[in-house]
Amino acid sequence: MNVHSEFLRLDAISKSFGTVEVLHDVSFTVARNEFLTILGPSGSGKTTILRLIAGFEAATSGAITLDGARIDTTPINRRPFNTVFQDYALFPHLSVRRNVAYGLMVRGMDKPAIDARVAEVLAVVGLDNYATRLPQELSGGQRQRVALARAIICEPRLILLDEPLAALDVTLRTQMCAFLKSIQRRLEIAFVFITHDQQEAIAMSDRIIVMNDGRIEQEGSPEDLYLRPKTRFVAGFFGENNLIEGRVSGIETATATVETAIGLVEVALGTSNLTVGAAVQIAIRPENINVLKDPQGGAAFVVRNVQFAGASIIIDAVDAQTGSVELRVRQAPGNALNRPAIGEEVAFSWAAQSTTLVAGEPSDGG
Amino acid sequence: MADNAAHSAVEVRGGARWRGLLAGIVCVGLPGLFVFAPLATFLLYSFWRNEDGQLVREFTLQNYRAFFGDATFLRVYIRTILLCLGATVLNLVVGYAIALFIARRDARVRFGLVLVFVLPLFTSYIIKIYAIRGILGHRGVLNELLLGAGLIDQPLTVLIFSQTAIFIGLVVLYLPFAVLPIYLSIERIPPNLAAASADLGGSTLDELRHIVLPLSIPGMILAGVFTFVMTFGDFVTPQMLGGIDGFTFGRIVYTQFGVALNWPLGAALAIILLITAVGVVFFATLAGRWSTTR
Repeated sequence: MNVHSEFLRLDAISKSFGTVEVLHDVSFTVARNEFLTILGPSGSGKTTILRLIAGFEAATSGAITLDGARIDTTPINRRPFNTVFQDYALFPHLSVRRNVAYGLMVRGMDKPAIDARVAEVLAVVGLDNYATRLPQELSGGQRQRVALARAIICEPRLILLDEPLAALDVTLRTQMCAFLKSIQRRLEIAFVFITHDQQEAIAMSDRIIVMNDGRIEQEGSPEDLYLRPKTRFVAGFFGENNLIEGRVSGIETATATVETAIGLVEVALGTSNLTVGAAVQIAIRPENINVLKDPQGGAAFVVRNVQFAGASIIIDAVDAQTGSVELRVRQAPGNALNRPAIGEEVAFSWAAQSTTLVAGEPSDGG
Repeated sequence: MADNAAHSAVEVRGGARWRGLLAGIVCVGLPGLFVFAPLATFLLYSFWRNEDGQLVREFTLQNYRAFFGDATFLRVYIRTILLCLGATVLNLVVGYAIALFIARRDARVRFGLVLVFVLPLFTSYIIKIYAIRGILGHRGVLNELLLGAGLIDQPLTVLIFSQTAIFIGLVVLYLPFAVLPIYLSIERIPPNLAAASADLGGSTLDELRHIVLPLSIPGMILAGVFTFVMTFGDFVTPQMLGGIDGFTFGRIVYTQFGVALNWPLGAALAIILLITAVGVVFFATLAGRWSTTR
């Protein structure tokens, strides 16, 4: 992402409703043409961020700047941003055409120009034949497209999308993900997408900001967050992750040794500055763990459950010695060797590079 | 076992049938007894005639001929329609402003405000009319205020015992019936539509014109029907505030029953009043359908 293309900046934004602080010292930027996702569980403050940018709420402290100029006090209808609302908020008494034309109509554009532009935008979202329909005569996915068309017709600098896929079924959601991404590329407008669904976030985003409890937990590319979570919350929230508690017992150049309930484990050091004796958690993705049929190589685990899940086989196991470390392993289903029986004793192995160290006591966060 | 189950199922179905029948009797029977039967009686009476205080049970159209042939009846009828239309329009405008004002307040104070504006409905009709007389009278509050302010040097006579007085009275008395349905229809509009309008660049005026007004048309139609039908049938307000000048159609109907004792003519006039009211409801329904299917 080009640093110079950043046009919207949130600077040390805090927001309180009464005595409840919902956002605490949040700062980030949005770049031109960027698909930025704000990801977090409900109550993490992500929708409040959207409402602050759109202008529905005012921050308690901090600044929002657009091209370097503050817009905190600019009223909603003067901000060059448009929102796709969670429940679409289509005007029920207006046809698709008049819904889409609304933004241009209130700007006083003349009718022939509006009609031409509406036709153009409806073609972009693939609704050319639905111009005269009322919103209640459309399916969920079509309403979604109308909401998007209504937002993009104003040629905003930024489109804010508030969990727009939440009301759609799984198949449609996947389609809409691809559709939103293609529209965003084609229009070259920045999208700020709010969601609690990490799969949507991974599928569409150039960059993801993970929110937790009103703070930014971590920010980075989907790969960054998936492969290199920095906190326990991100590690747990972002896809499946096994977490093993331990204490750093030795630090080498590229790796560290961590003392855990299942013995010494070698892990990749990453960028974090560790000290010997620090409490850490080792995060390992289920798909990065291999099953060893011959349990000589490592600690013995007892297989608790084996489940066929289509693309993979899920193996849940617990360590034979203390019973305190539980691992979930995903294996390709084709290989019969990878499918142990329930109750069987096995060992697991993984490459040190596929692990991530997450700082903090287990009671922290999440 | 199976027999028992089947037996009790039949019993349940039998019970349901009796309940259904009872509900049918209540739903059809009560309105039939208390609304449609009296109306049918009226209709019958309107085709009979009165001769020297005696009811003659022979079919005749003379009551209706009397209405359509008598310029006095027609003039009062037209004048009353115009008066009530005026009161309805003013009530819609004022009622809309009040309803909008309430709907835009914080959720916690809204209910209280609605109560304040609907409170007159809990007060006795007679008390309200005397209160209005106290305000509009020759030495009433309004005249005293205007005199005191030096705006007039004689009490205004038009304020009481005139068509103007009836008009003011009708507007004041029936305002709650306009406020309530309009308020309910505005309050039902999802707040995110206002958010969407603003987000798309619309001003508060745009939102009012393009979103709130069109979506509250059903409430306005209901308010209009309420006000018109009720003011058109009202005979007490015109009598108490209108004096000799304030003759309205409702008063004429009342007079035929209570004073002239010409029930057949009164019945015919009442039927005309009813047809007018039903006509208004019919056109209002059409208007409502037109406004929603555009």
